[in-house]
Amino acid sequence: MIANTTIYFSKLLGANVTGEDGRSVGRLRDLIVDVGGQRPKVVAASVSSAEGPRLVAFGPCRIGSEGRRAVVEASRIEAASLPAENLLYIKKHLLDKQIVDVDGRKLVRVNDLVLDRGQGGYNLVAVDVGLEGLFRRLGVAGLLGRLLKALGRSLPSKLILWNEVEAVDFSTTQIKLSKAYSKLDGIHPSDLADILEELDHASRVALFNSLDEDRAADVLEELEPGAQVRILENLSEEKAADVLEKMPADEVADILDELKSEKAERLLAEMETESSSEVRSLMAYPDDTVGSMMSKDFVFFNQSMKVGDALAELRSVRPEAEEVYSVYVLDARGKYVATVSLRDIVVADPETRLGEIMNSVTDPLHDTDSAGPLAELMLKYKLHTAPVVDVDGKMAGTIVIEDVLEYVMRKR
Amino acid sequence: MLKRINARTAFAGLLVFLSVLGPGIITGSVDNDAGGITTYSVAGAIYGYNILWTLLPCLLVLIIIQEMNARMGIVTGKGLADLIRENAGVKVTFFIFIFLVIADIGNTTTEFAGVAGSMQALGLSKYVAVPLSAVAVWILVVKGTYKSVEKIFLVFSFFLLSYIVSALLGKPDWGAIRHAMVHPEAKFDFDYITMVIGIVGTTIAPWMQFYMQSSVIEKGLSIEKYKYTVADVVVGAIITVVVAFFIIVACAATLNVNGIKIEEAKDAALALKPLAGKAAYIIFAAGLFVASVFSATILPIATAFYVCEAFGFEAGIDKKWKEAPEFYWLFTIIVLIAVGIILLPGAPLIQITIWTQVFNGVLLPVVLICMLLIINKVEVMGGRVNGHFGNAVGWGTALVLLCMNAVFLGMSVLGS
Repeated sequence: MIANTTIYFSKLLGANVTGEDGRSVGRLRDLIVDVGGQRPKVVAASVSSAEGPRLVAFGPCRIGSEGRRAVVEASRIEAASLPAENLLYIKKHLLDKQIVDVDGRKLVRVNDLVLDRGQGGYNLVAVDVGLEGLFRRLGVAGLLGRLLKALGRSLPSKLILWNEVEAVDFSTTQIKLSKAYSKLDGIHPSDLADILEELDHASRVALFNSLDEDRAADVLEELEPGAQVRILENLSEEKAADVLEKMPADEVADILDELKSEKAERLLAEMETESSSEVRSLMAYPDDTVGSMMSKDFVFFNQSMKVGDALAELRSVRPEAEEVYSVYVLDARGKYVATVSLRDIVVADPETRLGEIMNSVTDPLHDTDSAGPLAELMLKYKLHTAPVVDVDGKMAGTIVIEDVLEYVMRKR
Repeated sequence: MLKRINARTAFAGLLVFLSVLGPGIITGSVDNDAGGITTYSVAGAIYGYNILWTLLPCLLVLIIIQEMNARMGIVTGKGLADLIRENAGVKVTFFIFIFLVIADIGNTTTEFAGVAGSMQALGLSKYVAVPLSAVAVWILVVKGTYKSVEKIFLVFSFFLLSYIVSALLGKPDWGAIRHAMVHPEAKFDFDYITMVIGIVGTTIAPWMQFYMQSSVIEKGLSIEKYKYTVADVVVGAIITVVVAFFIIVACAATLNVNGIKIEEAKDAALALKPLAGKAAYIIFAAGLFVASVFSATILPIATAFYVCEAFGFEAGIDKKWKEAPEFYWLFTIIVLIAVGIILLPGAPLIQITIWTQVFNGVLLPVVLICMLLIINKVEVMGGRVNGHFGNAVGWGTALVLLCMNAVFLGMSVLGS
């Protein structure tokens, strides 16, 4: 059980805790860890005694073994004085709960935890999410391990270091962590959305609330509609509006379509007029029309502009990738003239005018067209985006290939 | 459409109810699977009206338990397997799930017994029907189009109404029914107690509790819709018990009266024949077949899913085999064992069916006690822990069930 300085938490549960005179004070029920510092340090033990549960400072404690059982020997028993925040109870908050495997970008269940002894005391080092941990809890890991060894194999074991996991299941507790969720920063919004979808409601809301507006917007976009609605319903309308403003108008239109119309109205009213009017115009389109799928974010120039100046402009504006597969040429009144692909801009001589490399051969789409033939159309002309005009020929928006893919997959 | 309606009208209330509709009612329909139909038929054939009284306490208990599951699902957003693992630890979870898997292998066997029996009634050998349907089930799940089948099933479950029709056509003696419900004439011997536990086990199967809680979560129901969810649960429970009632009455009025015991599912179909002729026979067989195939699909998936949920394996029919190997393997093994048992020559289908439901009934109080312990924890349920009444009924039921189990086990050990 205690190999070198590695200690399994499951072996400590129920261990005898003895005081300075070697007499038993009670049994170990839980360990309390301070996660505020570099490494999570065990600061106290919850011990059940004849007088009831007590919190014992862990500084003076040593973990030893008597035969095959663990014991905790305290050189002095003193009540623990605990900081107000950044505390986690191992059994109450971590054992058997789900946590995020940051590297694997998914939720895993904690079967056991690993502690080790450092200079300043004991630290929480890793979580055990593998089969070996499961069997250890059942008390059969030793036996099974030996059996498998005889067959030349071993129990699958999976340990993840503490700094590669993030506790997220706070549904049942009032924990205050100063750096909650910080390890999730590197996770792609789409993976974070997957994780959020698997969490229970309370944890989901808590995690989402901890995200800044930009990240929250990215994650909200990636969630499935049901989850989007439930999260929005749990945000204050101010915060919801702030997040929605950071999202592309067509995404917002889709989400608001799923909400009750009074709620959607209130959110639109809370948003800045520019964003909300874009969203409103998109929501006005019936389902399955090009207009209901289009994005309002695109880049346009005048045909007399030189390629070099256009590139400079792009560098200063820094549009998103899907906004700039092609740029559009509009006339002074906003009417669509032609399309210029990014490729053509990049290979052209900087002195060339856009008018010389623009493509006006293919007709633009109309916002009232049916969305059905879109996929075929874009495949046929090898388009990544397609311009959409309104009834007056003015540029209304663009259709981006990702949205077409999503549409096709939904229809399947 | 919901958007334009003022929430204060009763019509709006009905619409909200319809939108919430699902978990309770679907669970209620699925409850009348091959195990249920067979158990009720046998009960009616052997004991006539004298076993009907058991349905009343079953109804009450079913509503109470399912409401707890719905509440736990809505408040925590976690499945029952999840909650058990997080609150009862690994050892308890392990023992419960071992028994659950055994029970569900039995239940799946029962479903295939239903397939075999219904095809038998139509003259098709079990050696053809069962493997074919097992393969169909397997492909349906692994290739992942189960959701669309759920809707087909709901349509076919209307076939169960044929029992109601035929029971009424047989002009049952309502006076005798009333009398038997208040003063049942029966010896409370080993067989009778076994049957009672079987009825309890098939009406309130443990696996259904997990299923009900998951469907509530999947529907994303929130606490505001709680009232409607309770209504959904009650309606679902009533549907189950009403259908059970009429199955027993139909068999009592025809088979029991003539002293016919049910040896094969064919005999249960006979209950319909004299009243509605050959057509009823076929309707019964078709209905039983569809119910069996559907449940034979759901049961192993549900079982595999909950085991994986409790022990931290990936699961879900939306995942590929490579992504969730433990889930798919568990599913496959359950189906294989079930089919294997049924295909044994001379396998006593009816006996197997009854005994699996009895096993359900024995496992039930264990799951119920776990649920009661979890649902009383404030950290888990917030302000929605059980009230005094809920606890009284809950614990009372667990006690009664445990007593029945004790008597049953005692009797079987001592020999009746």
